[in-house]
Amino acid sequence: MKFSFTNDQHEFATGLRTLLEREFTASDLRVVWESGTGNDAALWKRLAEMGVLSMMLPTADGGLGGDFVDSVLLVEELGRAGVPGPVLETMTVGALALRGTQWAAGIADGSVAVTAALMGERYVPHASSCVVLLIADGDVVRAIENPELSQSTIEGIDGGRRLSALAGAGTGTEAGDGSEAEAEAEAGDGSEAGDGSGTGTRGVVLAADRDHLVDAGALAASAYLLGLSSRMLAIAGDYARDRRQFGQPIGSFQAVKHLMADALLKVEFARPAVYRAAWSHANGVETVGRDVSMAKALASDAAQKAARSALQVHGAIGYTWECDLQLFMKKAWALIPAWGSASYHRRRVADAVLGPR
Amino acid sequence: MDLNETPEEEAFRAEARAWLEANVPAQPLPSFDTERGFQLHREWEAKLYGAGWSAVSWPVEYGGRGADYLEWLIFEEEYWRVGAPGRVNQNGIFLLGPTIMEVGTQEQKTRFLPAMASSAEVWAQAWSEPEAGSDMASIRSAGRLSDDATEWILDGQKIWASRAVWADWCFGIFRTDPESIRHKGLTFILVPLDAPGVIVRPIVQLDGDTGFAEIFFDDVHVPIENTLGGVGQGWSVAMATAGFERGVSLRSPARFHVAVERLIDLWRKIGDPNDDAMRDAVTDLWMQAEGYRLHTYLTVTKLLDGGRVGSESSLNKIFWSEMDVRAHELAMQLLGPDGERMDGPYEQWVDGFLFSLSGPIYAGTNEIQRNIIADRVLNLPRG
Repeated sequence: MKFSFTNDQHEFATGLRTLLEREFTASDLRVVWESGTGNDAALWKRLAEMGVLSMMLPTADGGLGGDFVDSVLLVEELGRAGVPGPVLETMTVGALALRGTQWAAGIADGSVAVTAALMGERYVPHASSCVVLLIADGDVVRAIENPELSQSTIEGIDGGRRLSALAGAGTGTEAGDGSEAEAEAEAGDGSEAGDGSGTGTRGVVLAADRDHLVDAGALAASAYLLGLSSRMLAIAGDYARDRRQFGQPIGSFQAVKHLMADALLKVEFARPAVYRAAWSHANGVETVGRDVSMAKALASDAAQKAARSALQVHGAIGYTWECDLQLFMKKAWALIPAWGSASYHRRRVADAVLGPR
Repeated sequence: MDLNETPEEEAFRAEARAWLEANVPAQPLPSFDTERGFQLHREWEAKLYGAGWSAVSWPVEYGGRGADYLEWLIFEEEYWRVGAPGRVNQNGIFLLGPTIMEVGTQEQKTRFLPAMASSAEVWAQAWSEPEAGSDMASIRSAGRLSDDATEWILDGQKIWASRAVWADWCFGIFRTDPESIRHKGLTFILVPLDAPGVIVRPIVQLDGDTGFAEIFFDDVHVPIENTLGGVGQGWSVAMATAGFERGVSLRSPARFHVAVERLIDLWRKIGDPNDDAMRDAVTDLWMQAEGYRLHTYLTVTKLLDGGRVGSESSLNKIFWSEMDVRAHELAMQLLGPDGERMDGPYEQWVDGFLFSLSGPIYAGTNEIQRNIIADRVLNLPRG
């Protein structure tokens, strides 16, 4: 029994952290927000060069051949920096789904960004900056290249995560439970569709298992939320040391100390659950669904608490557009419901531990 | 990372399980905070010691088994799984023992550790004073050197001293420099409770037992050799001891896992299957117990890799104590009117509920722990 990471794993994560601290500050994130693109092309290239995006791709595809234990600390660092764009989707769900396909090399070199709508989502994040969209068609997963998007804009809360609806029938993910999809699947040859009936029946059928990918997405979101939570508490800590009222730093008041200690408690007890889920996912253990759901429920609750506490510590300044805290809070508020809410995952744990209702 | 047990770990588990299943008393012992229960628990400890299971993580030469922390966790899982008795000498084996090993002299190790491991000597803690509860640095109990400098002469009063009613020894810190204030001028001293001038007055607790006591010291003479750590170093020695208490050693995850498993059994037996709120609450408790277990494994692996546990152990203390209260509150909710009965089939839950309420208070209140986390982990300014 060894519940720790190797030196290499730690060093890779530290290297990524150093790079992001130097090259991707909150001001850079704000520039992405203002650009309206929801992504940073230069940063994406750096992440590809560093091997972050291809960590979970097999070496045969030009990847580093790692698994989720190798990448969980990296995703956490991406969260700490609030890296925008479909990064957690591409490097985990995308790499697992598209290994051995014509797109795999593109993930490694940074030319193929991947997003996913595998749980019947109404709005697809990042679709405008992705080459490949993964959708579920019952238990079958399909890859759609350059999906056709609805022209109407959807304004999301997080400027680092653009939302789209797909052209035709909504997002096409209604096919997730769908007989309609099966009926039309015959027509799909994996290239084009254009029959206006939704994209659920188009694209290339992949070998990947849907549940495995959904677990990967939920787990990656959990790790990213851990990083975000740490960043929000760090920002709040800086403010509490700096801001003075009643003649002393507000961080010296117990009311502020206890608010932050309670938030840290939630974060630090979510952390081992996320790491364990990474191991369970990497090794395909029987309890992987339960473990991932526990991680997502705890990491979501922790991020909610961290965001709320960090905002409260800031007082009115935290409620301004100018304060950088919002960049991280809003990413948290976008990811907390993504890949299944805490409530959804809590029920999934309940079914595993207590038996189905 | 590998969360599977090695064959050696599995073998260790099997060995512990076999011994415990063959030796754990068939009937639960009476509370160790009663005279009869204390005696029976002392006998149980002697039996554990005889088989080398009383202090598994201690070196063999002091009566332990030389097990590493992971094996200790495995032992704890097996121990609580079979419902073995509570540890009457935990103040000694889990708190003072590791401190003696860290800062004690060779003579102290030889003199105190084996008798502690066998529970021939059971230890009480004596931290608090009437005017020094959460504010422990304002203690006033005094120690002065005898004229020939061979003895401490102690005067003062301690309170909330767990196990002191029937224990043999106590440990605590005394102000040995009368000019000193706060954390300075304190010395950690070991005191036999049968020394002339020591008076122990039991205090009846919320649960009706006498688990703690006041200790009065009136011109009590103890040899200078009973100083643990240097003269004037009492505060840092006490912090090391309290670190063990809040950290991995006092409340191993297995206890809570077993408590939550019992809660789940209770829920299956008498819970309303259509009560989704209760179902979610029980699930949350399971996640907390599992989270605590994982957190402990992460910490223990870090220790085995040569790391140290610092102030973050305060996080543990808040987590397990609040989890324990929550588990018992839920049980009381499930029990309904039966939760009002101090006898009957659910007595264990009612006792457990009362006991759980002491958790957020003892070993430093959870508010003090939050201050420690804020100051030393989050680096917020001192108030």
